[in-house]
Amino acid sequence: MKTLADLKKIREKAQEEMKLRDGKVRIKIVVGMGTSGIAMGAREVMKTFLEEISNRNLTDVLVTQTGEKGLSSMEPVVDVIEEGKPKVTYGNMTPEKARRVVVEHIVNGRVVSDYVVATGD
Amino acid sequence: MQDISLHLLDIIENSVRANAKNIQIRVIKDSNTNYLRLIVSDDGIGMDPDTLVKAQDPFFTSKTEREKKVGLGIPLLKQNAELCNGSFLITSEPGKGTVLSAEFQLDHIDRMPLGNLKETLLSAIVGHPEVNFSIILTALDKDKEKSFHFETAPIKEELGDIPLTYPDVIKYLEQSLNEGIQITNMEDV
Repeated sequence: MKTLADLKKIREKAQEEMKLRDGKVRIKIVVGMGTSGIAMGAREVMKTFLEEISNRNLTDVLVTQTGEKGLSSMEPVVDVIEEGKPKVTYGNMTPEKARRVVVEHIVNGRVVSDYVVATGD
Repeated sequence: MQDISLHLLDIIENSVRANAKNIQIRVIKDSNTNYLRLIVSDDGIGMDPDTLVKAQDPFFTSKTEREKKVGLGIPLLKQNAELCNGSFLITSEPGKGTVLSAEFQLDHIDRMPLGNLKETLLSAIVGHPEVNFSIILTALDKDKEKSFHFETAPIKEELGDIPLTYPDVIKYLEQSLNEGIQITNMEDV
């Protein structure tokens, strides 16, 4: 059984790491989780991002979810937000595409233009 | 929606959009009365009686960013529950919150599977770090009751400024939820 003591260890380790990189979140991934997004597989896309972050030990990436944004025909939709750069919106996402976004964009900093449906803001 | 856990995620998202700070999710598998029951209650903005009726109408949505004004989340869940001899109920009060309950006959031939409960719960928890979740899974079979209770507030307190999507935290949450789902035999419902 997992206990809060396990969390304390995680916190101590994470705080050490955060000290080394100023505690900053480098990149934020926002998965659209409205009704149509969910029906089109947004939960599996979310799951893939979480798996990749956990497996690759990406400690400076944040994942959250949001409601619909009026892009129903392109669901599942994912925003990648990086400080000082225009927001990138990926559409018609699948777990496979999510893995490619992690490798190319999140890890190596190259936008996967094949899947981009909007940029800006 | 292909399964009940996806409906559950959709309902949780409704609570989040209603600005809930606390969401309680109960999943009860009752083999004695032959029902699978979902209850989601929140302390969000709630709905007045008029909106509550409209929420069950597919041609209504509160989402103003939409061009097409349809809202299928609640009507589809209601239909799926009623299709398998179940029931559906929402009660709400403006300023207080909303309680939604959906019931499915457990052994009904048309009942959708529960699906991947862990993915729904994990996704909701890490996707909405601003919301405190209270999760109760219960399995009732003859005189045996197995139960799992999971609160996210103490976890977030312990973590302080460490995000819920920190790799080890994801693993922690995933393992905890998996244990609960195994204890209550909800892997394959």
